[in-house]
Amino acid sequence: MKKTAIIYCLMFLIPGIGIGNPEAIEPVFEQPILLTSAGQNAEVQLVSVLAKRAGLTFTLSKLATAAELADKKTLVLSIGASMKGLGAAGLDVKQEKTRITDLVKAAQDKKIPIFCLHLGGEARRGQLTDELITLLIPLSQAVIVVNSGNQDGIFTRLCEEYNIPLVGVNRVVDALKPIKDAFK
Amino acid sequence: MKRQQQKLITGGILLIFSLALCFLSGREFRSMLKKDNIYPSSGLTEVQKLSHYFPSLKGSPGDTDVYIFSGEEASGNLLILGGCHPNEPAGFIAAVLAAENIRVQKGKVLIIPQANLSGFTHNDPFEGNPQRFPISTPGGDRWFRYGSRLTNPVHQWPDPALYRNPAGQKLAGTEYRNLNRNFPGRKNGGLTEKIAFGIMELIRLEKIDIAIDLHEAAPEYPVINAIVFHENSAELAAIALMELQMEGIEIRLEESPKNLRGLSHREWGDLGGIEAFLLETANASHGRFKGKPSIALILEGKDNNYVKAGRLGRLFVPFDENGIPLEERAARHIAAVKALIASHNELHSESLILFSGLPDISALKKEGIGAFLKPPK
Repeated sequence: MKKTAIIYCLMFLIPGIGIGNPEAIEPVFEQPILLTSAGQNAEVQLVSVLAKRAGLTFTLSKLATAAELADKKTLVLSIGASMKGLGAAGLDVKQEKTRITDLVKAAQDKKIPIFCLHLGGEARRGQLTDELITLLIPLSQAVIVVNSGNQDGIFTRLCEEYNIPLVGVNRVVDALKPIKDAFK
Repeated sequence: MKRQQQKLITGGILLIFSLALCFLSGREFRSMLKKDNIYPSSGLTEVQKLSHYFPSLKGSPGDTDVYIFSGEEASGNLLILGGCHPNEPAGFIAAVLAAENIRVQKGKVLIIPQANLSGFTHNDPFEGNPQRFPISTPGGDRWFRYGSRLTNPVHQWPDPALYRNPAGQKLAGTEYRNLNRNFPGRKNGGLTEKIAFGIMELIRLEKIDIAIDLHEAAPEYPVINAIVFHENSAELAAIALMELQMEGIEIRLEESPKNLRGLSHREWGDLGGIEAFLLETANASHGRFKGKPSIALILEGKDNNYVKAGRLGRLFVPFDENGIPLEERAARHIAAVKALIASHNELHSESLILFSGLPDISALKKEGIGAFLKPPK
């Protein structure tokens, strides 16, 4: 009991160590960035606007492939499945999963760190999104989530298990500072 | 002989009864032809008919009113479209609210509250929907028609078995009368295609920069409480979402599929080259899970079936016993229009659109729609 209390105290006192809702992520990522969505969600546009406002150098590619990682130092993934988005991209679920799996594997081979964001909140959860979350969060180096999308604690659980820094924000716009802080 | 007389009397009674029924139901059907009154704000510059932009529509059941509000200085031009689907009242009422309250300082705002005017003249009788709904204003009730998603078959008939729309998409035959599948329209097509063509002509001739189409959808439909954007306006939509979130309004982004053709935002963006958006709110009276259709359901948006569906996780919006009233749905549209224009102004200082007078979400929720509508004349 005493041990648990100490851990919880440390969680609040030392932001960025992995669990709970720290306010910042250590500046571990480098530019330029390859930004894509995992699930063809429209929130990738939100990440794009935030990255622009944070002054980051990035390329947004909705159908990014391993070849586009050539000159990149960070892979940013906006997680969330949109059936409308998949339809618009002419992809089915299997094809999108294959694209993302190949891209992530290439990033790992090249030792390019992965930064995941889920900005769609509760509305952008569901079976397919959850499959992507389970697949991608363990492979990432940091995660930002809009809190309404983490009401069941799926991000907290995974980040805790794999010791990944997690920042929870209430609104999309609140993600600007942690994104900025996460880059060297 | 006596038996034949009895038969004649019975037949006569049945005939009179049938004629009376035809007369009464015919009168009800015809009552839908009575126009809705819209009283534009004192900032109105002019009212045009859609036929002003496409003369072939002149005198047709699709020749709807276009309310034009010009600022003192020419700049960017905005088009707000309501009533594309006349059974989605928040879109129609939000456009009416805009027309009755707006004052434009810079640029020009064009408002079409009843884009498919023909769709307002019938209301899918088999759905059992009310023909009208009232909104209380301090000076008495204003009544508005609750129409159909489709053009009146009296005005455009018959439907083909399969419809290939002007953009080349194959659809079910009834979609021939769905304005939001008929863009960019056909000059010599059916009435609905002509209306779509007229709107495209308006966009071209008025040099519209940004256009917003106001809709509603069932709470079980995945694209709900959403800004659907053409890919040429992705950044603008993203900024608008952040603005709305800062006001406490949760809304989602959806990109317009490139392969779903004939929709307003798709064709406006592709062919008109403008920033194009479609907004969706959640309307229980529009959905398939609903209980008895009623005026209360349209206005209050309360429905026990939807409460149960929400508890079972079958909906794409939170839905509880308080429902989603028309005030809230119309207010979301108004707030989203304001956020989109603020974002447009942030990104395009060369085509600023400045206006005032539109009520904010808290005032609409607190005081009701009627507080912002003119009393009936």
